[in-house]
Amino acid sequence: MSGHSSWPEWVYIGVVVALLCYVGAEAWNVERIVEHVPADAEIIKVIGQQWLWTFEHEDGTKEIGELHVEKGKAYKFEITSKDVIHSFNIHDYVVLLDAVPGRVNTVWFSPTEAGEYDIQCREYCGLIHYNMRATLIVEDKGA
Amino acid sequence: MVLELHKPRPIWQIMFSTHHTDVGLLYLITSLAFMFMGGALALVLRLELFAPGTQVIADSMTYNRIFTVHGTTLIFLFILPSASAFGNYLVPIMVRYKDMAYPKLNAIAFWMIPPAGALIWLGFADFTWYAYPTYSVISAPGPAADMWIFGLKILGVSSILGSINFIVTIMKCKHPDLPLSKMPLLAWAYLTSSLITVVAVPTFAAALLMLLTDRLGASGFFNPVMGGDPIAYQHLFWFTFHPEVYILVIPAIGFMYEIFPRFSRKPIFSHGSGVTAFVLLALVGFASWAHHMYATGMSFTEKTVFMVGTLAAVPASAMHTFNFLATMWGGRIKFATPIMWAVGGIALFFSAGAGGVVNSAMPLDFITHDSYWVVGHFHLFVMGTILFGTVGFVYYMFPYVTGRMYNEMWGKVHFILSFVGTVMVFFTQHILGLFGMPRRIYDYPPIPEWVQMNIIISIGAFIIGISMAIFLGNLIYSSAKGKPADMNDPFGLGGKYYYPYQAKNPHH
Amino acid sequence: MKAIIGLGMVLGLLMILPAIQYALAAGDEPGEYLDRRVEIWGLFYRLMIVAFTVGTVVSGMIVWLVLRFRESNPKAKPTEYEEAGTW
Repeated sequence: MSGHSSWPEWVYIGVVVALLCYVGAEAWNVERIVEHVPADAEIIKVIGQQWLWTFEHEDGTKEIGELHVEKGKAYKFEITSKDVIHSFNIHDYVVLLDAVPGRVNTVWFSPTEAGEYDIQCREYCGLIHYNMRATLIVEDKGA
Repeated sequence: MVLELHKPRPIWQIMFSTHHTDVGLLYLITSLAFMFMGGALALVLRLELFAPGTQVIADSMTYNRIFTVHGTTLIFLFILPSASAFGNYLVPIMVRYKDMAYPKLNAIAFWMIPPAGALIWLGFADFTWYAYPTYSVISAPGPAADMWIFGLKILGVSSILGSINFIVTIMKCKHPDLPLSKMPLLAWAYLTSSLITVVAVPTFAAALLMLLTDRLGASGFFNPVMGGDPIAYQHLFWFTFHPEVYILVIPAIGFMYEIFPRFSRKPIFSHGSGVTAFVLLALVGFASWAHHMYATGMSFTEKTVFMVGTLAAVPASAMHTFNFLATMWGGRIKFATPIMWAVGGIALFFSAGAGGVVNSAMPLDFITHDSYWVVGHFHLFVMGTILFGTVGFVYYMFPYVTGRMYNEMWGKVHFILSFVGTVMVFFTQHILGLFGMPRRIYDYPPIPEWVQMNIIISIGAFIIGISMAIFLGNLIYSSAKGKPADMNDPFGLGGKYYYPYQAKNPHH
Repeated sequence: MKAIIGLGMVLGLLMILPAIQYALAAGDEPGEYLDRRVEIWGLFYRLMIVAFTVGTVVSGMIVWLVLRFRESNPKAKPTEYEEAGTW
């Protein structure tokens, strides 16, 4: 070992730690903001099973493979599964949560644009996993 | 070392030997064979994903089986045995002992790998390399799944036995004149990764047994219908397999610690910092397992704890990078093939690490979880860092193992093609993940961005395939017909080092 | 001296514990309407700026090291260890 000085390494470690602290703080803050569910969010029950999605609205209407929601409202998904683990994903609205049998997981979102969006399964669930899809239809009732 | 050039031996003498270089050679050949087999499966997958619709694989079940065996093979049958291979060659020499502490145990640990590999390949299970319940309990077809479980069980025992052997060799058989603090960093790498193995792997071994009894219907640990919890399996699994990431990467870092000073003609910048980083990683590596499970419905508190635990592991890896770069600084570097792989390896190691920091930020999990981003991210680790370090070290050890020199020109071509291919494949996969393509899908809708990126990825994968064919050709041709190497200084660097071939094999 | 360190540790704990408490317990109160896309992708882009800045420095450093300290560089000179022949 040569007689090098170690201060550059300490400076370097300091910079790395500072960056990591920044990343951690930012992530913590955004997660905190995103997790707060508005009090008046409507509940939609999402049930995954091999290999389709079922949705149940608060008023009891059921939909299979399609989900109709209204623009501007807040929705809270209560996600569960009948058989194996699936993952409920609306990529365009950055909604993603596992559907785990025996558990109810919640995530909320509020659609801001009318249109059709893909719903897909992101956790490997067997034969037709690649095609376990549904459609999210955001309607603009105000227009 | 083996030096078959000077004194060829019949194959069974090597197979039934318990000498550490012979066992190392067996490990090396087996692991490289599995690397080519697992890589070939990846090419089939990429051919299938080249365009939407069915290309070469008839049905999704076959596709699912192929990616499962691809992952299992490359992690358990390539990376782990290849690390053991070089550990067998070098650890006894580095601690100045005549052999491993338990030579017979060593041979037993190796000979558990071929039957385990056979179970995995003949079964061809489909439940992905992590076998999450409840799919693996109620839905995965047997006997493939059960064969996979038994195969992994055997491999777990094998790696625990191997690790015990390394730990005892280092702690008990080390030459009394050699303090731990002066021990080469590669031996430190084996010490820390073996310690992690001994702590981490039994958890998964237990989980596998529970999975098996669940599949038999005798228990319901992970089956909610019988009062179990599938998330419990994920905790047990990742408690083993997040530290496992460090078990895999630490030997590769150790290889780089061997290569960089050698070819820079200068000692390692800071031995102490390397040791600190290894030990730190071994400790902190146990605090981050559940960052794989943000999407399973974890509470805000759990997520925060595991995000902090994950970020805490980063400075240790950053210290290694610093050490490598500072070692190159002021050197006179001969860019032979091994150090090219090592330099490429740290560039990709950084990219993988930066991606990992981004992954650990919990809200981003909503974007990236189980998408191709994750595939790109961990392949940058296992291929970009670990395979690059390992292949570089294969070239480095080649003259010592065979007594002949590999072809330098083709070695460099191999590196350049592999590097270009790796960047093309895995960086593009990151972007593809941001566009929302899930992993483990047999077919995808013809979304224009997805199609374009999949074509780029497949082309990159074939470039890697070509480079690996060159590698195979180089290995076979050079070990039979290559130029005899100057065993005192095969790379023409000058200087004295401990030379691996000084190990005395009783058969020579 | 010991007393000062002890007092510092106690005061430090008094600072840190409520902060941890706050950090871990956040997310309980009901929130407001927001577009999670904006929040999450915004975070992603901020982190990408950091990652790519650091990446530029690191890869630039690697390229410079490789070019400057390669054997064939006109400025390359034997390291001090080469004469003794051990490193």
